[in-house]
Amino acid sequence: MTTKKNPRRSWLIVPADQAAVSTPVQSQGADVIVLDLEYTVPPKNKESARAGLSVQIAQLAAASAQVFVRVDCATRWADVRAAVTRGLTGIVLPSPEEPADIVEIDALITELEKARGVEVGSTEIVLMLESAKCFWNADTLGRASNRVTAMGVGRIDLSMMLGAVPQNEFRLYRFLMTRTLVAARMLGKQPLGAFWRPGSRGGLASVADTLRAAREARLLGFSGCVCAVPEQVAPVHAGFV
Amino acid sequence: MPPYIRRSLIALSIDDPKLAEKAFDSWADAIVLDIVKQAAQDWQQTLKAQMPLAIAAASRGGAEVFVRLNAQTAYAELDATVFAGLAGVVLVGVADAAELVLASAKLDALELERGILQGSLEIDLEINTAQGVWNSLEIARASSRIGTLTINEQALYQNLDIPFETTLEVEPIEFIKGQIITVATSVNGQAQGMSYPLCITQKEVDETTLKKAILRARDTGFKGALCAQPSWVKLCNEGFRPSADEVEYYKEVRQVFAEGLKRGLASVPLNGKMIDVPVDLRAEVYLEWADRVALRDQQKIQAHQQQAISLQSLN
Repeated sequence: MTTKKNPRRSWLIVPADQAAVSTPVQSQGADVIVLDLEYTVPPKNKESARAGLSVQIAQLAAASAQVFVRVDCATRWADVRAAVTRGLTGIVLPSPEEPADIVEIDALITELEKARGVEVGSTEIVLMLESAKCFWNADTLGRASNRVTAMGVGRIDLSMMLGAVPQNEFRLYRFLMTRTLVAARMLGKQPLGAFWRPGSRGGLASVADTLRAAREARLLGFSGCVCAVPEQVAPVHAGFV
Repeated sequence: MPPYIRRSLIALSIDDPKLAEKAFDSWADAIVLDIVKQAAQDWQQTLKAQMPLAIAAASRGGAEVFVRLNAQTAYAELDATVFAGLAGVVLVGVADAAELVLASAKLDALELERGILQGSLEIDLEINTAQGVWNSLEIARASSRIGTLTINEQALYQNLDIPFETTLEVEPIEFIKGQIITVATSVNGQAQGMSYPLCITQKEVDETTLKKAILRARDTGFKGALCAQPSWVKLCNEGFRPSADEVEYYKEVRQVFAEGLKRGLASVPLNGKMIDVPVDLRAEVYLEWADRVALRDQQKIQAHQQQAISLQSLN
Protein backbone atom coordinates (compact mmCIF):
# COMPACT_ATOMS: atom_id res chain seq x y z
CA MET A 1 0.00 0.00 0.00
CA THR A 2 1.07 3.59 -0.37
CA THR A 3 2.09 5.49 2.72
CA LYS A 4 0.76 9.00 2.82
CA LYS A 5 3.41 11.57 3.51
CA ASN A 6 2.37 13.49 6.56
CA PRO A 7 4.25 16.66 7.32
CA ARG A 8 3.18 16.69 10.95
CA ARG A 9 5.13 13.74 12.28
CA SER A 10 6.81 15.36 15.27
CA TRP A 11 4.99 17.57 17.76
CA LEU A 12 7.73 18.93 20.01
CA ILE A 13 6.61 20.05 23.44
CA VAL A 14 8.40 23.20 24.58
CA PRO A 15 7.62 24.59 28.02
CA ALA A 16 6.12 28.03 27.38
CA ASP A 17 8.17 29.53 30.21
CA GLN A 18 11.43 28.56 28.48
CA ALA A 19 11.42 30.89 25.51
CA ALA A 20 15.12 30.32 24.86
CA VAL A 21 14.58 26.80 23.48
CA SER A 22 11.60 27.58 21.29
CA THR A 23 13.29 28.37 18.03
CA PRO A 24 13.04 26.19 14.95
CA VAL A 25 16.79 25.52 14.94
CA GLN A 26 16.80 24.39 18.55
CA SER A 27 13.76 22.24 17.94
CA GLN A 28 15.77 19.91 15.68
CA GLY A 29 13.46 20.49 12.75
CA ALA A 30 10.28 19.41 14.48
CA ASP A 31 7.25 19.60 12.20
CA VAL A 32 5.21 21.28 14.91
CA ILE A 33 6.21 23.32 17.97
CA VAL A 34 3.80 22.92 20.87
CA LEU A 35 4.24 25.68 23.42
CA ASP A 36 3.15 24.06 26.62
CA LEU A 37 1.09 25.60 29.38
CA GLU A 38 0.30 22.24 30.92
CA TYR A 39 2.39 20.17 33.26
CA THR A 40 5.87 21.11 32.00
CA VAL A 41 5.35 24.62 33.37
CA PRO A 42 5.49 25.02 37.17
CA PRO A 43 2.37 26.71 38.57
CA LYS A 44 4.35 29.75 39.69
CA ASN A 45 5.51 30.37 36.12
CA LYS A 46 2.16 29.96 34.38
CA GLU A 47 1.15 33.60 34.44
CA SER A 48 4.45 34.81 33.03
CA ALA A 49 4.34 32.01 30.44
CA ARG A 50 0.92 33.20 29.28
CA ALA A 51 2.16 36.77 29.14
CA GLY A 52 5.06 35.81 26.89
CA LEU A 53 3.11 33.60 24.50
CA SER A 54 2.22 36.10 21.80
CA VAL A 55 5.84 37.14 21.34
CA GLN A 56 7.01 33.53 21.09
CA ILE A 57 4.25 32.66 18.65
CA ALA A 58 5.09 35.64 16.47
CA GLN A 59 8.79 34.71 16.44
CA LEU A 60 8.13 31.10 15.57
CA ALA A 61 5.54 31.96 12.93
CA ALA A 62 7.98 34.41 11.37
CA ALA A 63 10.37 31.48 11.06
CA SER A 64 7.62 29.52 9.26
CA ALA A 65 7.01 27.11 12.13
CA GLN A 66 3.62 25.60 12.79
CA VAL A 67 2.84 26.62 16.34
CA PHE A 68 0.32 25.11 18.70
CA VAL A 69 -0.30 25.88 22.36
CA ARG A 70 -1.13 23.05 24.71
CA VAL A 71 -3.49 24.41 27.32
CA ASP A 72 -4.06 23.14 30.81
CA CYS A 73 -7.52 21.62 31.14
CA ALA A 74 -8.10 23.34 34.48
CA THR A 75 -7.16 26.81 33.19
CA ARG A 76 -8.05 26.36 29.51
CA TRP A 77 -10.07 29.57 29.23
CA ALA A 78 -7.22 31.82 30.41
CA ASP A 79 -4.73 29.77 28.39
CA VAL A 80 -6.76 30.07 25.19
CA ARG A 81 -7.17 33.82 25.74
CA ALA A 82 -3.40 34.11 26.02
CA ALA A 83 -2.75 31.90 23.00
CA VAL A 84 -5.04 33.01 20.19
CA THR A 85 -3.15 35.45 18.07
CA ARG A 86 -1.89 35.81 14.51
CA GLY A 87 0.64 33.09 13.81
CA LEU A 88 -0.95 30.47 16.04
CA THR A 89 -1.82 27.30 14.13
CA GLY A 90 -3.91 25.75 16.84
CA ILE A 91 -4.68 24.66 20.37
CA VAL A 92 -3.89 21.26 21.87
CA LEU A 93 -6.74 20.48 24.22
CA PRO A 94 -6.06 17.72 26.76
CA SER A 95 -8.76 15.46 28.07
CA PRO A 96 -12.04 16.86 26.75
CA GLU A 97 -14.71 14.44 27.94
CA GLU A 98 -17.88 15.87 26.42
CA PRO A 99 -18.58 17.61 23.11
CA ALA A 100 -19.70 20.64 25.11
CA ASP A 101 -16.13 21.08 26.36
CA ILE A 102 -14.99 21.53 22.77
CA VAL A 103 -17.95 23.61 21.65
CA GLU A 104 -17.22 26.03 24.46
CA ILE A 105 -13.54 26.38 23.50
CA ASP A 106 -14.50 26.68 19.82
CA ALA A 107 -16.80 29.59 20.67
CA LEU A 108 -14.13 31.27 22.76
CA ILE A 109 -11.59 30.91 19.95
CA THR A 110 -14.06 32.38 17.44
CA GLU A 111 -14.65 35.38 19.70
CA LEU A 112 -10.90 35.92 20.08
CA GLU A 113 -10.23 35.47 16.35
CA LYS A 114 -12.78 38.19 15.58
CA ALA A 115 -11.39 40.53 18.20
CA ARG A 116 -7.75 40.01 17.21
CA GLY A 117 -7.96 40.10 13.45
CA VAL A 118 -7.31 36.39 12.98
CA GLU A 119 -9.15 34.66 10.15
CA VAL A 120 -12.26 33.17 11.73
CA GLY A 121 -12.14 29.39 11.81
CA SER A 122 -8.43 29.17 11.05
CA THR A 123 -7.27 28.12 14.51
CA GLU A 124 -7.17 24.36 14.77
CA ILE A 125 -7.95 22.17 17.79
CA VAL A 126 -6.08 18.97 18.51
CA LEU A 127 -7.74 16.64 21.00
CA MET A 128 -5.66 14.56 23.38
CA LEU A 129 -7.72 11.65 24.69
CA GLU A 130 -6.64 11.06 28.26
CA SER A 131 -9.48 9.40 30.14
CA ALA A 132 -11.69 6.36 29.75
CA LYS A 133 -14.62 8.63 28.93
CA CYS A 134 -12.60 10.38 26.22
CA PHE A 135 -12.08 7.10 24.39
CA TRP A 136 -15.72 6.11 24.45
CA ASN A 137 -16.80 9.57 23.31
CA ALA A 138 -14.07 9.93 20.70
CA ASP A 139 -16.45 10.12 17.75
CA THR A 140 -18.71 12.79 19.21
CA LEU A 141 -15.68 14.71 20.49
CA GLY A 142 -14.12 14.68 17.04
CA ARG A 143 -17.36 15.90 15.49
CA ALA A 144 -17.89 18.68 18.03
CA SER A 145 -16.01 21.29 16.03
CA ASN A 146 -14.81 21.72 12.47
CA ARG A 147 -11.58 23.02 13.98
CA VAL A 148 -10.56 19.55 15.15
CA THR A 149 -7.80 18.30 12.85
CA ALA A 150 -6.05 15.64 14.93
CA MET A 151 -6.76 13.24 17.76
CA GLY A 152 -4.05 11.86 20.00
CA VAL A 153 -3.68 9.12 22.57
CA GLY A 154 -2.89 10.70 25.89
CA ARG A 155 -0.06 9.95 28.22
CA ILE A 156 0.74 6.41 29.16
CA ASP A 157 -0.27 7.35 32.71
CA LEU A 158 -3.80 7.04 31.41
CA SER A 159 -3.43 3.30 31.14
CA MET A 160 -2.21 3.18 34.70
CA MET A 161 -5.20 5.27 35.75
CA LEU A 162 -7.35 2.63 34.13
CA GLY A 163 -5.80 0.08 36.43
CA ALA A 164 -3.60 -1.83 34.05
CA VAL A 165 -0.22 -2.91 35.34
CA PRO A 166 2.13 -1.88 32.58
CA GLN A 167 4.36 -4.64 31.28
CA ASN A 168 6.53 -4.54 28.23
CA GLU A 169 3.75 -5.80 25.97
CA PHE A 170 1.25 -3.17 27.05
CA ARG A 171 -1.93 -4.53 25.54
CA LEU A 172 -4.35 -2.04 27.06
CA TYR A 173 -2.37 0.77 25.43
CA ARG A 174 -2.67 -1.03 22.08
CA PHE A 175 -6.43 -1.14 22.55
CA LEU A 176 -6.59 2.59 23.31
CA MET A 177 -4.42 3.34 20.30
CA THR A 178 -6.62 1.21 18.04
CA ARG A 179 -9.75 2.95 19.23
CA THR A 180 -8.19 6.36 18.64
CA LEU A 181 -7.00 5.32 15.20
CA VAL A 182 -10.44 4.10 14.14
CA ALA A 183 -12.14 7.26 15.39
CA ALA A 184 -9.58 9.54 13.78
CA ARG A 185 -9.61 7.79 10.40
CA MET A 186 -13.40 7.65 10.45
CA LEU A 187 -13.53 11.42 10.91
CA GLY A 188 -10.64 12.27 8.60
CA LYS A 189 -8.39 13.53 11.43
CA GLN A 190 -4.71 12.85 11.94
CA PRO A 191 -4.12 10.09 14.52
CA LEU A 192 -1.31 10.99 16.94
CA GLY A 193 0.45 8.58 19.25
CA ALA A 194 3.46 6.37 19.76
CA PHE A 195 3.77 2.99 21.38
CA TRP A 196 5.80 4.13 24.37
CA ARG A 197 6.88 1.48 26.81
CA PRO A 198 6.64 1.92 30.57
CA GLY A 199 9.93 3.24 31.96
CA SER A 200 10.97 4.68 28.63
CA ARG A 201 8.68 7.51 27.77
CA GLY A 202 8.48 11.29 27.98
CA GLY A 203 11.88 12.92 28.30
CA LEU A 204 13.39 9.62 29.44
CA ALA A 205 12.89 7.79 26.17
CA SER A 206 16.19 7.16 24.43
CA VAL A 207 16.68 7.66 20.71
CA ALA A 208 16.41 3.91 20.14
CA ASP A 209 13.27 3.57 22.26
CA THR A 210 11.71 6.58 20.56
CA LEU A 211 12.42 5.12 17.12
CA ARG A 212 10.85 1.85 18.20
CA ALA A 213 7.79 3.60 19.67
CA ALA A 214 7.30 5.66 16.52
CA ARG A 215 7.85 2.74 14.16
CA GLU A 216 5.38 0.55 16.02
CA ALA A 217 2.84 3.36 16.01
CA ARG A 218 3.30 3.77 12.27
CA LEU A 219 2.65 0.05 11.83
CA LEU A 220 -0.55 0.49 13.81
CA GLY A 221 -1.66 3.24 11.41
CA PHE A 222 -0.54 6.41 13.23
CA SER A 223 1.25 9.22 11.46
CA GLY A 224 2.79 11.40 14.17
CA CYS A 225 3.36 11.82 17.88
CA VAL A 226 4.38 14.19 20.63
CA CYS A 227 8.10 14.53 21.42
CA ALA A 228 9.06 15.50 24.95
CA VAL A 229 12.59 16.62 24.06
CA PRO A 230 14.28 17.81 20.84
CA GLU A 231 16.47 14.68 20.68
CA GLN A 232 13.35 12.62 19.95
CA VAL A 233 12.50 14.52 16.77
CA ALA A 234 14.93 12.68 14.48
CA PRO A 235 13.91 9.17 15.57
CA VAL A 236 10.25 10.15 15.30
CA HIS A 237 10.84 11.27 11.71
CA ALA A 238 12.67 8.02 11.05
CA GLY A 239 9.83 6.01 12.53
CA PHE A 240 6.93 7.68 10.77
CA VAL A 241 7.84 6.92 7.19
CA MET B 1 -22.08 -23.05 19.15
CA PRO B 2 -21.82 -21.38 15.77
CA PRO B 3 -25.29 -20.53 14.44
CA TYR B 4 -24.14 -21.51 10.95
CA ILE B 5 -21.88 -24.27 9.69
CA ARG B 6 -20.10 -22.08 7.22
CA ARG B 7 -16.45 -23.01 7.52
CA SER B 8 -15.34 -22.20 4.00
CA LEU B 9 -16.59 -19.57 1.60
CA ILE B 10 -15.31 -18.85 -1.87
CA ALA B 11 -16.07 -15.89 -4.10
CA LEU B 12 -16.90 -16.50 -7.75
CA SER B 13 -17.95 -14.14 -10.48
CA ILE B 14 -21.32 -14.73 -12.10
CA ASP B 15 -19.55 -14.06 -15.41
CA ASP B 16 -17.12 -16.91 -14.84
CA PRO B 17 -17.84 -19.47 -17.59
CA LYS B 18 -16.70 -22.21 -15.20
CA LEU B 19 -18.83 -21.00 -12.29
CA ALA B 20 -20.77 -24.26 -11.98
CA GLU B 21 -17.69 -26.50 -12.12
CA LYS B 22 -15.67 -24.34 -9.74
CA ALA B 23 -18.49 -24.17 -7.21
CA PHE B 24 -19.18 -27.89 -7.47
CA ASP B 25 -15.55 -28.96 -7.21
CA SER B 26 -14.72 -26.58 -4.38
CA TRP B 27 -16.68 -28.37 -1.62
CA ALA B 28 -17.08 -24.96 -0.01
CA ASP B 29 -19.87 -24.54 2.52
CA ALA B 30 -20.86 -21.29 0.85
CA ILE B 31 -20.38 -19.54 -2.47
CA VAL B 32 -20.35 -15.76 -2.64
CA LEU B 33 -21.34 -14.53 -6.06
CA ASP B 34 -19.77 -11.33 -7.32
CA ILE B 35 -21.84 -9.43 -9.84
CA VAL B 36 -20.53 -7.57 -12.84
CA LYS B 37 -22.33 -4.39 -13.87
CA GLN B 38 -21.64 -3.72 -17.52
CA ALA B 39 -21.13 -0.04 -18.21
CA ALA B 40 -23.57 1.72 -20.51
CA GLN B 41 -26.00 -1.19 -20.37
CA ASP B 42 -29.24 -1.90 -18.59
CA TRP B 43 -27.30 -3.89 -16.02
CA GLN B 44 -30.36 -4.52 -13.89
CA GLN B 45 -32.12 -6.38 -16.68
CA THR B 46 -28.93 -8.27 -17.55
CA LEU B 47 -28.45 -9.34 -13.94
CA LYS B 48 -32.09 -10.34 -13.58
CA ALA B 49 -31.60 -12.72 -16.48
CA GLN B 50 -28.27 -14.03 -15.17
CA MET B 51 -28.87 -14.45 -11.46
CA PRO B 52 -31.37 -17.35 -11.29
CA LEU B 53 -29.05 -19.46 -13.45
CA ALA B 54 -25.98 -18.41 -11.50
CA ILE B 55 -27.64 -19.26 -8.17
CA ALA B 56 -28.63 -22.70 -9.46
CA ALA B 57 -25.13 -23.30 -10.83
CA ALA B 58 -23.41 -22.26 -7.63
CA SER B 59 -25.60 -24.41 -5.40
CA ARG B 60 -25.14 -27.68 -7.28
CA GLY B 61 -22.57 -28.96 -4.81
CA GLY B 62 -24.78 -28.26 -1.81
CA ALA B 63 -23.28 -24.88 -0.96
CA GLU B 64 -25.30 -22.00 0.41
CA VAL B 65 -25.26 -19.17 -2.10
CA PHE B 66 -24.89 -15.48 -1.36
CA VAL B 67 -24.50 -12.46 -3.57
CA ARG B 68 -22.04 -9.70 -2.66
CA LEU B 69 -23.32 -6.16 -3.15
CA ASN B 70 -22.09 -2.67 -2.52
CA ALA B 71 -23.91 -1.22 0.49
CA GLN B 72 -24.13 2.25 -1.05
CA THR B 73 -25.87 0.99 -4.19
CA ALA B 74 -27.55 -2.02 -2.66
CA TYR B 75 -31.10 -0.82 -3.14
CA ALA B 76 -30.83 -1.07 -6.92
CA GLU B 77 -28.58 -4.12 -6.85
CA LEU B 78 -30.93 -6.09 -4.59
CA ASP B 79 -33.76 -5.77 -7.06
CA ALA B 80 -31.56 -7.20 -9.79
CA THR B 81 -29.99 -10.05 -7.85
CA VAL B 82 -32.33 -11.49 -5.23
CA PHE B 83 -34.08 -14.64 -6.41
CA ALA B 84 -35.21 -17.93 -4.93
CA GLY B 85 -32.33 -20.19 -3.96
CA LEU B 86 -30.25 -17.40 -2.52
CA ALA B 87 -29.38 -17.76 1.17
CA GLY B 88 -28.65 -14.09 1.58
CA VAL B 89 -26.66 -11.06 0.58
CA VAL B 90 -23.25 -9.81 1.65
CA LEU B 91 -23.25 -6.04 1.97
CA VAL B 92 -19.84 -4.50 1.49
CA GLY B 93 -18.94 -1.27 3.21
CA VAL B 94 -21.98 -0.62 5.38
CA ALA B 95 -21.17 2.60 7.22
CA ASP B 96 -24.23 3.13 9.36
CA ALA B 97 -27.41 1.46 10.54
CA ALA B 98 -29.65 3.41 8.17
CA GLU B 99 -28.17 1.65 5.15
CA LEU B 100 -28.96 -1.69 6.70
CA VAL B 101 -32.52 -0.73 7.57
CA LEU B 102 -33.08 0.28 3.96
CA ALA B 103 -31.63 -2.96 2.59
CA SER B 104 -33.63 -5.03 5.05
CA ALA B 105 -36.87 -3.33 4.02
CA LYS B 106 -36.06 -3.97 0.38
CA LEU B 107 -35.55 -7.65 1.14
CA ASP B 108 -38.96 -7.75 2.87
CA ALA B 109 -40.54 -6.50 -0.35
CA LEU B 110 -38.55 -8.80 -2.63
CA GLU B 111 -39.35 -11.88 -0.54
CA LEU B 112 -43.03 -11.11 -0.89
CA GLU B 113 -42.80 -10.32 -4.60
CA ARG B 114 -40.65 -13.34 -5.55
CA GLY B 115 -42.18 -16.06 -3.42
CA ILE B 116 -39.30 -16.35 -0.97
CA LEU B 117 -40.05 -17.32 2.63
CA GLN B 118 -40.55 -14.13 4.61
CA GLY B 119 -37.57 -13.17 6.71
CA SER B 120 -35.43 -16.02 5.38
CA LEU B 121 -32.87 -13.99 3.47
CA GLU B 122 -29.80 -13.27 5.53
CA ILE B 123 -27.72 -10.10 5.49
CA ASP B 124 -24.01 -10.55 6.05
CA LEU B 125 -21.64 -7.64 6.50
CA GLU B 126 -18.21 -7.14 5.00
CA ILE B 127 -16.61 -4.32 6.96
CA ASN B 128 -13.90 -2.33 5.23
CA THR B 129 -13.83 1.15 6.78
CA ALA B 130 -13.14 2.84 10.11
CA GLN B 131 -16.75 3.99 10.12
CA GLY B 132 -17.99 0.44 9.70
CA VAL B 133 -15.82 -0.68 12.61
CA TRP B 134 -16.85 2.19 14.86
CA ASN B 135 -20.57 1.71 14.14
CA SER B 136 -20.46 -2.09 13.98
CA LEU B 137 -22.67 -2.75 16.98
CA GLU B 138 -25.30 -0.23 15.90
CA ILE B 139 -25.23 -1.66 12.37
CA ALA B 140 -25.47 -5.26 13.52
CA ARG B 141 -28.44 -4.44 15.73
CA ALA B 142 -30.29 -2.70 12.91
CA SER B 143 -31.75 -5.85 11.38
CA SER B 144 -32.73 -9.28 12.61
CA ARG B 145 -31.45 -10.63 9.30
CA ILE B 146 -27.80 -10.24 10.29
CA GLY B 147 -25.93 -13.52 9.97
CA THR B 148 -22.19 -13.09 9.72
CA LEU B 149 -19.64 -10.29 9.96
CA THR B 150 -16.40 -10.33 8.02
CA ILE B 151 -13.57 -7.83 7.83
CA ASN B 152 -12.15 -7.13 4.40
CA GLU B 153 -8.71 -6.70 5.88
CA GLN B 154 -6.87 -5.45 2.84
CA ALA B 155 -9.44 -2.70 2.35
CA LEU B 156 -9.54 -1.86 6.05
CA TYR B 157 -5.75 -1.61 6.25
CA GLN B 158 -5.87 0.88 3.39
CA ASN B 159 -8.68 2.83 4.99
CA LEU B 160 -6.80 3.07 8.29
CA ASP B 161 -3.49 3.75 6.50
CA ILE B 162 -1.85 0.74 8.12
CA PRO B 163 1.17 -0.50 6.16
CA PHE B 164 1.06 -4.10 4.91
CA GLU B 165 3.67 -5.62 7.19
CA THR B 166 3.39 -9.36 7.47
CA THR B 167 6.05 -10.20 10.03
CA LEU B 168 4.86 -8.38 13.12
CA GLU B 169 4.67 -10.10 16.47
CA VAL B 170 1.34 -8.45 17.22
CA GLU B 171 -1.40 -8.02 14.67
CA PRO B 172 -2.21 -4.33 14.06
CA ILE B 173 -5.98 -4.88 14.05
CA GLU B 174 -6.10 -7.47 16.81
CA PHE B 175 -8.59 -5.44 18.84
CA ILE B 176 -10.77 -4.68 15.84
CA LYS B 177 -11.09 -8.39 15.21
CA GLY B 178 -12.05 -8.89 18.85
CA GLN B 179 -14.68 -6.19 18.50
CA ILE B 180 -16.20 -7.71 15.36
CA ILE B 181 -16.30 -11.22 16.85
CA THR B 182 -18.01 -9.88 19.97
CA VAL B 183 -20.48 -7.77 18.02
CA ALA B 184 -21.42 -10.66 15.71
CA THR B 185 -21.93 -13.04 18.60
CA SER B 186 -23.97 -10.48 20.54
CA VAL B 187 -26.60 -10.43 17.78
CA ASN B 188 -26.65 -14.24 17.53
CA GLY B 189 -24.52 -14.19 14.43
CA GLN B 190 -20.93 -15.23 13.86
CA ALA B 191 -17.71 -13.76 12.56
CA GLN B 192 -15.72 -15.13 9.68
CA GLY B 193 -12.01 -14.49 9.26
CA MET B 194 -8.49 -15.77 8.87
CA SER B 195 -5.60 -15.19 11.25
CA TYR B 196 -2.68 -12.82 10.70
CA PRO B 197 -0.76 -12.61 8.41
CA LEU B 198 -2.63 -14.87 5.97
CA CYS B 199 -5.62 -12.58 6.28
CA ILE B 200 -3.68 -9.90 4.39
CA THR B 201 -1.19 -11.88 2.32
CA GLN B 202 -3.92 -14.30 1.18
CA LYS B 203 -1.17 -16.47 -0.21
CA GLU B 204 -0.93 -20.11 -1.09
CA VAL B 205 0.99 -21.66 1.82
CA ASP B 206 2.03 -25.14 2.83
CA GLU B 207 -0.47 -27.35 4.60
CA THR B 208 1.16 -27.14 8.03
CA THR B 209 1.23 -23.33 7.97
CA LEU B 210 -2.37 -23.17 6.80
CA LYS B 211 -3.57 -25.61 9.44
CA LYS B 212 -1.91 -23.54 12.17
CA ALA B 213 -3.41 -20.33 10.77
CA ILE B 214 -6.89 -21.85 10.70
CA LEU B 215 -6.56 -23.16 14.24
CA ARG B 216 -5.48 -19.69 15.42
CA ALA B 217 -8.46 -18.17 13.61
CA ARG B 218 -10.85 -20.69 15.12
CA ASP B 219 -9.43 -20.19 18.59
CA THR B 220 -9.73 -16.42 18.19
CA GLY B 221 -13.46 -16.85 17.66
CA PHE B 222 -13.89 -17.03 13.91
CA LYS B 223 -16.21 -19.75 12.66
CA GLY B 224 -15.04 -19.91 9.06
CA ALA B 225 -13.19 -17.93 6.44
CA LEU B 226 -13.51 -16.54 2.96
CA CYS B 227 -10.94 -18.66 1.15
CA ALA B 228 -8.54 -16.56 -0.91
CA GLN B 229 -7.18 -19.73 -2.49
CA PRO B 230 -9.22 -22.78 -3.59
CA SER B 231 -6.73 -24.94 -1.68
CA TRP B 232 -7.85 -23.36 1.59
CA VAL B 233 -11.35 -24.84 1.37
CA LYS B 234 -10.51 -28.40 2.37
CA LEU B 235 -8.45 -27.35 5.37
CA CYS B 236 -11.00 -24.74 6.46
CA ASN B 237 -13.67 -27.45 6.35
CA GLU B 238 -11.45 -29.64 8.50
CA GLY B 239 -10.19 -26.89 10.79
CA PHE B 240 -13.20 -24.74 11.64
CA ARG B 241 -14.81 -27.49 13.68
CA PRO B 242 -14.01 -29.53 16.75
CA SER B 243 -11.09 -31.84 15.97
CA ALA B 244 -11.40 -35.63 16.28
CA ASP B 245 -9.30 -35.48 19.45
CA GLU B 246 -11.56 -32.82 20.93
CA VAL B 247 -14.66 -34.87 20.12
CA GLU B 248 -13.12 -37.90 21.78
CA TYR B 249 -12.10 -35.89 24.83
CA TYR B 250 -15.46 -34.17 25.24
CA LYS B 251 -17.32 -37.46 24.92
CA GLU B 252 -15.25 -38.72 27.81
CA VAL B 253 -15.91 -35.50 29.72
CA ARG B 254 -19.66 -35.95 29.37
CA GLN B 255 -19.50 -39.56 30.43
CA VAL B 256 -17.23 -38.98 33.42
CA PHE B 257 -19.25 -35.99 34.59
CA ALA B 258 -22.59 -37.81 34.25
CA GLU B 259 -21.21 -40.66 36.34
CA GLY B 260 -19.97 -38.16 38.92
CA LEU B 261 -23.41 -36.56 39.14
CA LYS B 262 -24.94 -39.96 39.81
CA ARG B 263 -22.53 -40.34 42.71
CA GLY B 264 -23.58 -36.92 44.00
CA LEU B 265 -20.42 -35.11 42.92
CA ALA B 266 -20.43 -31.62 41.39
CA SER B 267 -16.94 -32.00 40.00
CA VAL B 268 -14.82 -34.96 39.01
CA PRO B 269 -11.20 -35.36 37.92
CA LEU B 270 -10.21 -36.45 34.42
CA ASN B 271 -6.57 -36.80 33.39
CA GLY B 272 -5.53 -34.36 36.09
CA LYS B 273 -8.16 -31.75 35.14
CA MET B 274 -11.28 -30.79 37.04
CA ILE B 275 -14.53 -31.45 35.21
CA ASP B 276 -17.45 -29.40 36.46
CA VAL B 277 -20.60 -27.80 35.04
CA PRO B 278 -18.89 -25.24 32.73
CA VAL B 279 -16.62 -27.91 31.26
CA ASP B 280 -19.57 -30.23 30.76
CA LEU B 281 -21.51 -27.44 29.04
CA ARG B 282 -18.55 -26.75 26.79
CA ALA B 283 -18.40 -30.45 25.97
CA GLU B 284 -22.09 -30.44 25.10
CA VAL B 285 -21.63 -27.45 22.78
CA TYR B 286 -18.59 -28.93 21.07
CA LEU B 287 -20.27 -32.29 20.50
CA GLU B 288 -23.39 -30.67 19.12
CA TRP B 289 -21.20 -28.52 16.89
CA ALA B 290 -19.41 -31.66 15.64
CA ASP B 291 -22.76 -33.34 14.93
CA ARG B 292 -23.95 -30.37 12.92
CA VAL B 293 -20.72 -30.32 10.93
CA ALA B 294 -21.18 -34.02 10.15
CA LEU B 295 -24.74 -33.35 9.02
CA ARG B 296 -23.58 -30.48 6.82
CA ASP B 297 -20.90 -32.66 5.24
CA GLN B 298 -23.51 -35.33 4.60
CA GLN B 299 -25.77 -32.81 2.86
CA LYS B 300 -22.93 -31.81 0.56
CA ILE B 301 -22.06 -35.41 -0.21
CA GLN B 302 -25.70 -36.09 -1.09
CA ALA B 303 -25.80 -33.03 -3.33
CA HIS B 304 -22.70 -34.24 -5.15
CA GLN B 305 -24.12 -37.75 -5.53
CA GLN B 306 -27.42 -36.40 -6.80
CA GLN B 307 -25.59 -34.29 -9.33
CA ALA B 308 -23.61 -37.30 -10.53
CA ILE B 309 -26.83 -39.28 -10.96
CA SER B 310 -28.40 -36.41 -12.92
CA LEU B 311 -25.42 -36.22 -15.22
CA GLN B 312 -25.49 -40.00 -15.77
CA SER B 313 -29.17 -39.92 -16.68
CA LEU B 314 -28.48 -37.15 -19.19
CA ASN B 315 -25.77 -39.25 -20.78
